[in-house]
Amino acid sequence: MSLLHLVVLAPFLLAILIPFLYKKFRHIHTGWFVLGLPLVLFIYFLTFLPEISGGGAVQETVPWIPSLGIDFTVFVDGLGLLFALLITGIGTLVVLYSIYYIANKKDEPLNNFYVYLLMFMGAMLGVVLSDNLMVVYVFWETTSLASMLLIGYWFHKERSRYGAQKSMLITVFGGFSMLAGFTLLYVMTETFSIREIIAQTDVIASHELFLPAMLLILLGAFTKSAQFPFHIWLPDAMEAPTPVSAYLHSATMVKAGIYLVARMTPVFGGEPQWFWLLSGFGIFTLLWGSVSAVRQKDLKAILAFSTISQLGMIMTLLGLGSAAVHFDLANGETLYTTAILAAVFHLINHATFKGSLFMVVGIVDHETGTRDIRNLGGLMTLMPITATAALIGTFSMAGLPPFNGFLSKEMFFTGVLNATTLDLFNMQTWGLIFPVIAWIASIFTFAYCMIMFFKTFTGKHQPEKLKKQAHEAPMGMLIGPVILASLVVVFGLFPNVLSYSIIEPVMRSILPSLVSDGGEFYVNIYHWHGPNTELMMTIGVVIFGSLVYLNLKRWQEAAFFLKERDPLNWLYDNSLVWLIDGATWVNDLQLTGRLRDYMAYMFVFFAGFMAWGLFYFDAIAIDLENTAPISTYIFVLVAVLILATISIPFINHRITAIIVVGVIGFLLALLFVVFRAPDLALTQLLVETVMVVMFLLVFYHLPELKKESFKPTMKISNLAISIAVGVFASLTALSAHAFSYENPVDAISNYFIENAYTLAGGNNMVNVILVDFRGLDTLLEVLVLAIAALGIVVLVKYTAKGRENL
Amino acid sequence: MNNLVILPILIPFLMGVILIFTNKRLSVSRTISVLTALAMLASASYLTYVVYTDGIMALELGNWEAPFGIVLVGDLLSSSLVAVSSLLAVSTLFFIFQTFDEEREKAYFYPFFFFLMTGVNGSFLTGDLFNLFVFFEVMLLSSFILISMGGKKSQLSESLKYVIINTVSSLVFIIGIAYLYAVTGTLNMADLSVKVAELGQEGVLNVIALVFLFIFGVKSALFPLYYWLPKSYVEPPTAIAALFGGLLTKVGVYTILRTYTLIFNQSSEIYFILIVLGGLTMFIGVLGAVSQFDFKRILSVHIVSQVGYMIMGIGINSTIAIAGVFYFLIHNIIVKSALFFFAGATEKVTGTSHLKKMSGLLKTHPYLGWTFFIAAISLAGIPPLSGFVGKFILIVAGFMEGNYFVIAVSLATGLLTLFSMMKIFMTSFWGEVKLPKPEAENVKVGSLIAPIVPLLIFTIVLGVAAEPFYQFSLELAEQIINPEHYVNSVLKE
Repeated sequence: MSLLHLVVLAPFLLAILIPFLYKKFRHIHTGWFVLGLPLVLFIYFLTFLPEISGGGAVQETVPWIPSLGIDFTVFVDGLGLLFALLITGIGTLVVLYSIYYIANKKDEPLNNFYVYLLMFMGAMLGVVLSDNLMVVYVFWETTSLASMLLIGYWFHKERSRYGAQKSMLITVFGGFSMLAGFTLLYVMTETFSIREIIAQTDVIASHELFLPAMLLILLGAFTKSAQFPFHIWLPDAMEAPTPVSAYLHSATMVKAGIYLVARMTPVFGGEPQWFWLLSGFGIFTLLWGSVSAVRQKDLKAILAFSTISQLGMIMTLLGLGSAAVHFDLANGETLYTTAILAAVFHLINHATFKGSLFMVVGIVDHETGTRDIRNLGGLMTLMPITATAALIGTFSMAGLPPFNGFLSKEMFFTGVLNATTLDLFNMQTWGLIFPVIAWIASIFTFAYCMIMFFKTFTGKHQPEKLKKQAHEAPMGMLIGPVILASLVVVFGLFPNVLSYSIIEPVMRSILPSLVSDGGEFYVNIYHWHGPNTELMMTIGVVIFGSLVYLNLKRWQEAAFFLKERDPLNWLYDNSLVWLIDGATWVNDLQLTGRLRDYMAYMFVFFAGFMAWGLFYFDAIAIDLENTAPISTYIFVLVAVLILATISIPFINHRITAIIVVGVIGFLLALLFVVFRAPDLALTQLLVETVMVVMFLLVFYHLPELKKESFKPTMKISNLAISIAVGVFASLTALSAHAFSYENPVDAISNYFIENAYTLAGGNNMVNVILVDFRGLDTLLEVLVLAIAALGIVVLVKYTAKGRENL
Repeated sequence: MNNLVILPILIPFLMGVILIFTNKRLSVSRTISVLTALAMLASASYLTYVVYTDGIMALELGNWEAPFGIVLVGDLLSSSLVAVSSLLAVSTLFFIFQTFDEEREKAYFYPFFFFLMTGVNGSFLTGDLFNLFVFFEVMLLSSFILISMGGKKSQLSESLKYVIINTVSSLVFIIGIAYLYAVTGTLNMADLSVKVAELGQEGVLNVIALVFLFIFGVKSALFPLYYWLPKSYVEPPTAIAALFGGLLTKVGVYTILRTYTLIFNQSSEIYFILIVLGGLTMFIGVLGAVSQFDFKRILSVHIVSQVGYMIMGIGINSTIAIAGVFYFLIHNIIVKSALFFFAGATEKVTGTSHLKKMSGLLKTHPYLGWTFFIAAISLAGIPPLSGFVGKFILIVAGFMEGNYFVIAVSLATGLLTLFSMMKIFMTSFWGEVKLPKPEAENVKVGSLIAPIVPLLIFTIVLGVAAEPFYQFSLELAEQIINPEHYVNSVLKE
């Protein structure tokens, strides 16, 4: 257990303490106890920068379940460190923000909130810092769980429960797929260590399980990172308190899928399926998200769809960039590494501007009581600081200079334009759709950014529509968005503070094969590239985006834009209904509550099972040569027995029925006599006598024997089942008999015959077996009788008043 | 020293008889019960330890040498299952003390309880097929009385179905034994293993193997033989349902595991059938849980579903798979009973087990809510709890042997399990506080949760500190997959 392990587990340890701190110091906001941890961790991770920037990596291993190949290996490289910094850095700001956002009211379960939040923080650190895929998975599911609990934090609200269930079902579905994918990788490589898997890439690339593993892992990444069509959980996750939305559902957790894809690029990158799935789903998600965002009226819903769209954009870039492994860096072919560079840079930028925007929206909601853009407006003068942060955030997201969003958007355009020149994977034919879709999506992105800012902060203030008197937020709430907004500006003006300190190391993690011979990526980010296509595209975006925004009134009346809910929700909601209906149907079909149905099902199964076995295993062997001779009177005896048995269902009179059942019993006893088993016959006689006497004793108390009427089809089917069971059971018996004649074995009965007298001192072999050789059986049968006797006493004497003393 | 094997059977048997006579004196009965259960636990744990260090232990009863007399065999599988069952018995007793009314306890409850344990422990430990039948009878009859005790109409009608279906299976058991004896001339399981191997498992022997699959399938509640289970577990008091849910079907699973590794271990077709039945059972079982809205009903159909996983594992039939089955078995005994206890505790608070009649329990009873949550996600196989490890081992085993489809089914089942468990959590524990009776808010359940806590700790430890348990499971699986260990210890060859 190293310090690094402790760091990953620290949030969990603190989480255990939180309930006590909450109880003990009720008057202090619990958030204050939490705040220090992410801050300390952030500073701790910063100390890794020099080493990681130099291309190094740190690793510590603790065995967990080594026999299953699971070691808890903490591995810090560029990619892991970037995420760790995001998680702890934004975590600090979010915790600070939440202290002001969620007031310490009397019955506010702050303990729950911070336990979940810490659970998430630890789990997320675990996901990005583990080298072992199973450890990644364990933490991954923990983030899903924490996310579900946080979405359902205000669980008295129906929408919260709905959102929680939805996010859980979709992300855990992905998680389970991912688990299968990881296990397939293990089956191929016999290791769960990502680095060891990467080392075997060329071996597994031709394996038949390679593609299934890729698809399953991508399912995990796509569900978590809200890619179409799995994105529908994210808008409903907005029911969580806003700090949670800012933290989990925009800055960190939803990027776990991005992380996974980046991490697995060395394994799967370069395959056409990987390239197309990522870039295809990514670009479509980008478009879908941005178009959907435009029609939202709730600020958080706009942000949710915007997040979906931006995640799609990063996914596209990772897909396009994966082609880079086919090229050699040494020849200066940076054409495709640009996409990876853009992905990494945009990931950072998105965390900054989206985090700040969520906090801004939270402030607006908190100070006005609404998030509906139709009720908002003119807040600029009332909330100047918030408005400034919002301006920076939205303009950066729209891709305007001098903010960081402009830089990464330009690089995104470069990436998709470069992709058209790719002569791999059929891109010659399809390449052009990427810049086209990217450009259209960017127009909508621009439009919703403008809607967000101008509808909220400019225009007419409508105090009558607000639940509260709007005013600027308290200092504590502003710190978070202001810091993030300043980062937007700083990264916009001086992007190269990031270049070699963090972006280049991250690219090394994603494309290790390109720099394996000691090379290095060239990372230089600047504003002015001259009047190139990218700039033209941006100008086009601004022009068309403004047109869309300015004509808002005209097209907002269109039916398409009046529907806010994503049409895919219809599929999800109905699937749940179908699932439950279907399950009920299957259930009702079987569990009818009637014993006769149950017996019918079981016997059909039994007969079918035996029939199949007899034929499939070619087991039918009837050999009448070796059977004992059957005398005529046995035939008579058996015939009477059968007739008596058959007659029972037709008897309507109880006393006749009792007598006939008695007859069967006595005939059976006779059969025992014939087969030279006098003691059995005696027992049978006794049992039968007692039975008949008992029946007659209770006869007076029994109700009228009612004749049950069944449909003829039922009678026939039951007859068929009975005959089938009888036939196959007899066939098996005959076959067993024949088999034993063909393959004689030395049966243990010979031992009893030989030794009953000499060793056990009894002439009656059956008795000796019962009381000596197999005495335990008899003892237990006695116990069974005792239980039955005592049971009858209890059944008769004890009648429960309630079910239990609850 | 070998006499140790019989202790877990003898202790509950004798003490059960004594408890008949102390019936009227409740405090005496309770004290004896706890001491008996603890003695059972101690002897079983010691047995497991001895078997672990010294190897398989066989006891020839009455000194009649195998295969002629009856043998009791303690190997790692049987002894550790006895130990876990005994642990469950201890927990159940403490739960019973608090939830039963005295009338019920005085209705010879404790004797039946220990006779049931006699049957369970005996079924695990016996090395003789006919003796297994007799232990099944002990188990069946005492469980029948425990279900029907109280004599409510619904109880009687459900317990009648229970006893009739199980009696039919007993009947088939006898027929099956007759078939098998006709072919092999022996009843001792080790000897059967030798004889079946000598004869070659083909032709009619495979049909007989199918007959036994039917018999044990009824016991372990496989699709389509599980119909006795769902309702008969809802009727008795929760503590009884917990004990049954934890143990009875697991005895069936144990016998399938034993039979198809020790005796009928040569037919790939039969292993394939096990996989198919396992897949069907897990999926159809969980559909039952998805459609229900009664706490206990959901839990009881989950039993069916979870049995499917184990049967699938037996069908996969590799060392890792068997280790997974064992892991899953232990996990399921613990967690399933814990969940039933939670159902009982919830019912104590609200007076109902219908989910839609209560909500917001998390606010009024946070400890109940969170401890339930742990058990629920463990059942659904969410890491890092025992359910996850068990499932994960089975997935690895399944993929290694190339059984992709059934593993996909098992993962889908896992998701639906989570769905149905979260349905309980979100419907009854989340939501506005709305309880059927006003005083419900103040009902204290701490003393009811206390006996569950050890079980919860167990599920967490089995998950977080899986390595030693997995090592143990592997060793156990090694013993199971190579039947000559068992055969040699019994037949002393």
